[in-house]
Amino acid sequence: MLHSDIKSRPIYTQLEPDLSGSQHLLIVEGDTVLPGRLDSLAGTFAPVEEQLHTWLVGTQAGGLGLGKVWRLPDVADVVDAFACATRGYGIGDRLYVQGTEPFLWSVAKAAAIIGFSADQIHLHHAGSLRRRVWCTHCHTVTENVTTSIASCAGCHRHLLVRDHFSRRLGAFMGVMVDAEAPGEVPAVEENFA
Amino acid sequence: MIGETLRLKVAAACAISPSLRHLRLVAADGGKLPPAAAGAHLQLVLKGATRTHRNAYSLISRPGARDAYEIIVRRVPASRGGSAFIHEQIKVGDVLEAGWPGNLFAPVRTARRHLMIAGGIGITPFLSYLADFAFGGADYALHLCCREDEQHVFDPWLAGKSGVSVHWDTDGRRLDIPALLAAQPVGTHLYVCGPAAMNDEVLELAAAAGWPASHVHCEHFGSALSGGEAFHAFLAKSGVEVSVGEDESLLEAIERIGVKAPCLCRGGACGVCVTPLLEGEAEHRDHYLSAAEREAGRLILPCVSRARSGRLVLDL
Repeated sequence: MLHSDIKSRPIYTQLEPDLSGSQHLLIVEGDTVLPGRLDSLAGTFAPVEEQLHTWLVGTQAGGLGLGKVWRLPDVADVVDAFACATRGYGIGDRLYVQGTEPFLWSVAKAAAIIGFSADQIHLHHAGSLRRRVWCTHCHTVTENVTTSIASCAGCHRHLLVRDHFSRRLGAFMGVMVDAEAPGEVPAVEENFA
Repeated sequence: MIGETLRLKVAAACAISPSLRHLRLVAADGGKLPPAAAGAHLQLVLKGATRTHRNAYSLISRPGARDAYEIIVRRVPASRGGSAFIHEQIKVGDVLEAGWPGNLFAPVRTARRHLMIAGGIGITPFLSYLADFAFGGADYALHLCCREDEQHVFDPWLAGKSGVSVHWDTDGRRLDIPALLAAQPVGTHLYVCGPAAMNDEVLELAAAAGWPASHVHCEHFGSALSGGEAFHAFLAKSGVEVSVGEDESLLEAIERIGVKAPCLCRGGACGVCVTPLLEGEAEHRDHYLSAAEREAGRLILPCVSRARSGRLVLDL
């Protein structure tokens, strides 16, 4: 599902520490961690544990020693933490993010705003395929879309969810599916559960 | 002033140190010059008694200025003739041919902060950066590493500019490059311009400190790179053989016999002159070809690269 002919469709990789980095920040969307997977992540990041901070977001999972661990209730708190960062992040720092695509890009965007460059950020998709969809007609963002055609939260048009992806918006493009023949909406499929 | 080349008149020429000469060039027809942005360079055609040099010099004039171009030229002891020509031959009133300004070293506009490290005359591109940043309010720092006796040479261009530190080779004045590179915030872009050994050291230290390659920029001095053993080249399309002397580059030899070859930086950086290599083994001295391309041996940058042995056949 993560591969597409559309060039803007991001390709994600497995997370592993970039040993050329100086400080390492791992941000994990707790719901996307499968049982035992956090232990395996801990093993992967063991070589940089001394320089590692882990932010676990919205998870109850406990007792895991991935460097210094900080728990945050929600992705909005991650965005706030970056926006209000008192400690400066360094040009040699590396950011690793695991989660659903809306989570990955919310974090990546917040990091980019304070100066992180794309090659300091490593993203790994895990969990649901649900999409954030941007309506090309009214520019409203609709969250948690799991279907091939979704109703826009702003203008209620039936939007065909495309693979075209905007890194700036962290969202997929949604275009009116029945613009040519009003009311003719193809069968809706649950593609992004 | 519109044409393939510019005609520039030397309006002023003065020594700012025993080995540095400052030139102010205006349009020979009295008109306006094409504007150039920070980091741009100018390729001058220097017609010496025995041969023609085409050397690129960073513009230190205010970015966007249309009244004059200014450059500072270091007299190189082992000069192939270009810098000696500028120091000995050029006088006020002379008219020189030049290419349009090119820019391979522009500051990155999205940078949060600009960190510049200059070695000696390598400060020249940064003098235009400073003029640019003074208007834009950008966060920047310039570290100039130079000889102690040249610490004040660039003062006329640095006067009133904050964020400039000067370093030289004595206790307490040396630049601690690793400490400097480790202390930079996200969003910083690093620019380095100096002698090859210094460039290489800074690039290596930046990589070791975890700097993403996309945030590290380097301008090499090209002129010192192009000499070497004499060799022959055959230009297959033109059907002519050219002998390349030990103090000229392959590109210069090609131009000397009247074959047109595209070029821009003449220092192995831009890749404009890249030419298919049909036969022979090249000694690659450019900063443009990838390791895989060098390995494949099918391309050459005639502005700096030469023959490793024998004869080269170029698709030109």
